[in-house]
Amino acid sequence: MTTPNKIKLSEEALVAALRNRDIIAMKALYDMYSGALLGVILRITQHTELAEDLLQETFLKIWHAADKYDASKGRLFTWMINIARNLAIDKIRSKDYKNSEKNQDIENNVAVVDNQKEQIINIEVLGLRDLVTGLKPELASVLDMVYYKGFTHTEAAEELNLPLGTVKTRIRMAILELRKQFNFGRN
Amino acid sequence: MEETRAYIESGILELYVMGQLSAHEMQEVAQRAAISPEIRQEIEAIELALEHYALKTGIEPRSDLFAAIEASINAEAKVNSIETSNTATLPAQEPVKETSVTEPIRKSIRPLQYALAACVALLIVSLIALLNAHTKLEDANEQILSLRTEKDRYASGMNVLKKTNSELQTVADMVDDPNWAIVQLAGTKTAPTAKMMVYWNRKSLNVVVDKSRLKLPENNQSQQYQLWAIVAGKPVDLGVFDVKSDSTDMLIKMKEVSKAEAFAVTLEKRGGSVNPTMENMVVFAGVSI
Repeated sequence: MTTPNKIKLSEEALVAALRNRDIIAMKALYDMYSGALLGVILRITQHTELAEDLLQETFLKIWHAADKYDASKGRLFTWMINIARNLAIDKIRSKDYKNSEKNQDIENNVAVVDNQKEQIINIEVLGLRDLVTGLKPELASVLDMVYYKGFTHTEAAEELNLPLGTVKTRIRMAILELRKQFNFGRN
Repeated sequence: MEETRAYIESGILELYVMGQLSAHEMQEVAQRAAISPEIRQEIEAIELALEHYALKTGIEPRSDLFAAIEASINAEAKVNSIETSNTATLPAQEPVKETSVTEPIRKSIRPLQYALAACVALLIVSLIALLNAHTKLEDANEQILSLRTEKDRYASGMNVLKKTNSELQTVADMVDDPNWAIVQLAGTKTAPTAKMMVYWNRKSLNVVVDKSRLKLPENNQSQQYQLWAIVAGKPVDLGVFDVKSDSTDMLIKMKEVSKAEAFAVTLEKRGGSVNPTMENMVVFAGVSI
């Protein structure tokens, strides 16, 4: 992600700049995290244009709600990605989004084709991700449902027909696996 | 220590990081983290791992997206603190829309404001003019009233003059008419300065006293002058009359008489007497013709 004209700042400097209403903080956050945030949003919405609108909305919300960020409760990115996820989930569960989906289904085949094309792209992304992370499919599927698809862990348990405890355990195991890789990557 | 370990292994911290807990549960985890460095470290490790995961699986947005975000932020700043910073042309800016919408409204309101001001000014001018006209009208009404009374006065004066004129005409006609005898009565011993004129028409037998040529002292309320004709040596009553300075009548018509040798006037009680009181005779004249 590091190209010459992209800004990277330490988390403390970022938070301070953001609270100072310094636009440089936004540029830095964008350069560092826009891809990660869009990844989450796009996997929830399945629609590039809508996802980019929501990404824009996410950054504006970050800009406006910077005062509400509490460093003692977690990292800045955790706060940001939760904002992005909630916006995306709110959007796909909203009435007007559901209506527009319905219209597309009824009206034109082009939308269906588009949808299929996106589906292919997403499969590629997913495949690539599995390669990158090396997570076992049963761990990846649970983590993705909660982290990427906007399911609550209760919903995921119902969807996968698993006990709630198993879902919790699998999520923990998936993240432990990620931690191992991350530490390995750092060392 | 044991308890903390079990807490960590329950998987609640992963759900905490992913925002999967209720507000109450979130609060509880935050409280535990505040007092336990171990929990804090665990949470941060989970966060970093997921962050790493998200970064690795991220998707690059289109290249101009940040410009749009920056534009929105700048536009908001402009609205908040009316700055005049000229940033790049911005695709979908609300404030620009706002001004472009309100501007024509403001422009269309402006003439209306002028019109309103003009109306108010016109109203004030009209009121002043009305007030002015009203006072003038009152003046005019007063003048009309005074002119009317003046006219009435002239009209009554005119009537008097007309009457006087017709009476003068009558007198003038009498002179031309040979049937009219003009008898001049002279004062007696009781009233040496008194004199008067009596016109007598032998044909129509009319007798008229000319008050304009009458010089008799004014009579009081209980008395009246009485005109007599002497016919065959005997006095015949021809009626009574008053002598007053404010009288407007010029000619007084008396009773008719067919023959008269002389005329006389005596001062009698009001209403007249049957026989003249000779010692109160003021004027007398015999008829010559």
